[in-house]
Amino acid sequence: MEKGYLAIVLHSHLPYVRHPEYEDFLEEDWFYEAITETYIPLISVFSGLVRDGVDFRITMSITPTLASMLADSLLQDRYIRHLDSLIDLSNREVERTRWQPEFNRLALMYQAKFNEARHIFVDRYHKNILTAFKEFQDLGKLEIIASAATHGFLPLMEVCPKSARAQIRVGVNNYEAHFGRRPRGFWLPECGFYPGVDQHLKEAGLKYFFIDSHGILHGSPRPKYGVYAPIYCKSGIAAFGRDWESSKQVWSAVEGYPGDYNYREFYRDVGFDLDYEYIKPYIHKDGIRINTGIKYYRITGRTSDKEPYNPDWARERTAEHAGNFMFNREKQVEYLFDILKRTSITIAPYDAELFGHWWYEGPMFLDYLFRKIYYDQKTLKVITPSEYLEQNPRNQVITPSLSSWGWKGYCEVWLEGSNDWIYRHLHKASERMTELNNNFPNADGLLKRALNQALRELYKVKSHR
Amino acid sequence: MKRVIKGRKRKVMPKGRSKKRIIKGPIKRKSKRIAKARIKGIKAQPVVQEFAEKGVPAEAQKNKVEQAKYYPRPSTYMPPREWEKEELPSHYGDNKVVVLVRDPYWLYAYWEITDERKSNVETETQASWSDLRKVLRVNDVTDIIFDGTNANKSFDIDPTSDANNWYIHVGEPNRSWCVDLGAVAPDGRFILIARSNVVTTPRDSASDVIDEEWMSLEEEFAKLYGLFGGFGVSSPQMVELRKKMKERLQMELASGAVSSFARPPLERGFWLVVNTELIVYGATEPSATVTVQGRSIKLNRDGTFSLRLALPAGEQVIPVKAISADKAEERTITPVVRKYIK
Repeated sequence: MEKGYLAIVLHSHLPYVRHPEYEDFLEEDWFYEAITETYIPLISVFSGLVRDGVDFRITMSITPTLASMLADSLLQDRYIRHLDSLIDLSNREVERTRWQPEFNRLALMYQAKFNEARHIFVDRYHKNILTAFKEFQDLGKLEIIASAATHGFLPLMEVCPKSARAQIRVGVNNYEAHFGRRPRGFWLPECGFYPGVDQHLKEAGLKYFFIDSHGILHGSPRPKYGVYAPIYCKSGIAAFGRDWESSKQVWSAVEGYPGDYNYREFYRDVGFDLDYEYIKPYIHKDGIRINTGIKYYRITGRTSDKEPYNPDWARERTAEHAGNFMFNREKQVEYLFDILKRTSITIAPYDAELFGHWWYEGPMFLDYLFRKIYYDQKTLKVITPSEYLEQNPRNQVITPSLSSWGWKGYCEVWLEGSNDWIYRHLHKASERMTELNNNFPNADGLLKRALNQALRELYKVKSHR
Repeated sequence: MKRVIKGRKRKVMPKGRSKKRIIKGPIKRKSKRIAKARIKGIKAQPVVQEFAEKGVPAEAQKNKVEQAKYYPRPSTYMPPREWEKEELPSHYGDNKVVVLVRDPYWLYAYWEITDERKSNVETETQASWSDLRKVLRVNDVTDIIFDGTNANKSFDIDPTSDANNWYIHVGEPNRSWCVDLGAVAPDGRFILIARSNVVTTPRDSASDVIDEEWMSLEEEFAKLYGLFGGFGVSSPQMVELRKKMKERLQMELASGAVSSFARPPLERGFWLVVNTELIVYGATEPSATVTVQGRSIKLNRDGTFSLRLALPAGEQVIPVKAISADKAEERTITPVVRKYIK
């Protein structure tokens, strides 16, 4: 019998970028990179686990903006174009590195990965990888959660409750349109919570959301189980608090795993390293050097003399780190079981793009972690928040405290000298939108379309950064 | 990803990005990293100068300096950005003040006063607007329904006369606040112009309220509180834990951390990389088959070919062999290239 649970939560979000008017729009590249480096590798990992009969659980938010981009046929076709160019580059790299075996093996690795990505994207999921995530959800391995319409930071919209409510409602509707069911969980952008937003979440039919540790720990009355059990807000929705320790092990560039010297160096990319004339067809059409995704070096150390990446060493280190992470969670769970006298749940949330895009070995880390947890021990089990709530329906009622996972834990990142000017305009725009809707409650036809467009523009403004 | 995106924006000016969106002027913050450094290095001096220039009496100046110490940046007044003037109205014709919570100790207020209201106030006070003292009266309205007179306590802030927004140091977590924007008449009367929404600063430590049904020992709770941060549980004093929490919140373990991910500062900044590549190119009959070092390569339509190879140190023997389409003829040329580094 396990003594506690672990819930890995990946928050996937990209701002909405779609520019049909430009052939080559730089910001769209972030989206393509995330597909190649994060989303597709995660799909590969999940497929492998399912294939090998490893029972795993993971929770992922896919924000409305990201889901809409993944479902967009223009962007899907552009992604294939992008990937084909990468495959072409990798072919040339295989040739170019013929006399350098340490780089040649890496060129071959990228060539194989890009071709596999194409296979997964085009052949297996017919250009829409939302289908893949939906499949894993239907298998009961993955729980996809909803998020706010445009990633608006809700604590600073408290004065416009209608807008906060609309951000949530639109997010929930968007989820239903893409995944064919109502969401149970919700990712508050930047974990931004204020007392009262829970009421809007509850009204949208949601069962739970996530919050940073101090949101729970500073809640009132005092949470008996700290962040290691969910609490109910007075509105009746459950909140799960982030575990700081497991966050630190992965996030921290200093103490965390991703800084290991054997891991791939993000900042050395052939887009910047290679001769301009040679790389020109593969960078931005205006001739600006960009990351291509082909990176040949390992972090090596605190030096600019980087050594070639060695995938075998990186793999070994990834397995060690997954083992270490599991060991620490086991110890934590045992300790908690002693003081809580109940099975705890540890919430470990991360940005999805950390895995693969920034930390190249991240998806492999998750693969090892789920396998080790499944095969190697009995103390700990992975779970989704929904399952945990079903098993443990009785929880304390508290009012969590205003909080976010941004720097310093509150609103300062979104409210400081460079951005504070926007709020007077943002709040005004929200107010006017509300007036418009009140003035035209039964709008239809062109007027309705105009109102919807106004609303969309407003959401775009709210998508912070 | 967002911070990263910002970082990249710096490197390039992507097509389709309106120039207007680039914020100009001294307030431009290239990254949060810089913003942090500025906050750390804040000095009250620029504010002092500002007040001094405006000829505020010495005693008042001293008070302002004391007050200014709490401000996170030299002055809260930001002149409108160029594009802000172009694209967004500078005012909406409202008389209002809105308050936002920044953290357990700070509020942010923005406001707007119409010319009409200003002249009303002038009539009422028999003083010109520019001579009037403009005040933000910060009321502690915790657990009460505020009617303008029953605040638990209140204090005044005098923003600079051209300001339309201000950071307010309230210094008290878990209290509710309401800000009255007004002017002080020469006879000392406070003329209310607008009253803000009510906000509550969040707690900066654990609540004292204990739920009977879900009670836990103080020590047990301290253990849990400490555990979440990996603080260690050796000193489960709430005071100590509060300090640790503050330190922990300063660390950046979320999206923002990603931009500097896995990139601790390098030992030294200067560097040089030199690589060499070799281009092997030639031409033959378009129908011929060509191999380089035994590997076949694709010919262009006109029979030309070109190979670009990274050239490591050492000797490369490069046989280039062409075979005619009917396999009757064959030519081989073998360049030998030696690279060494002096």
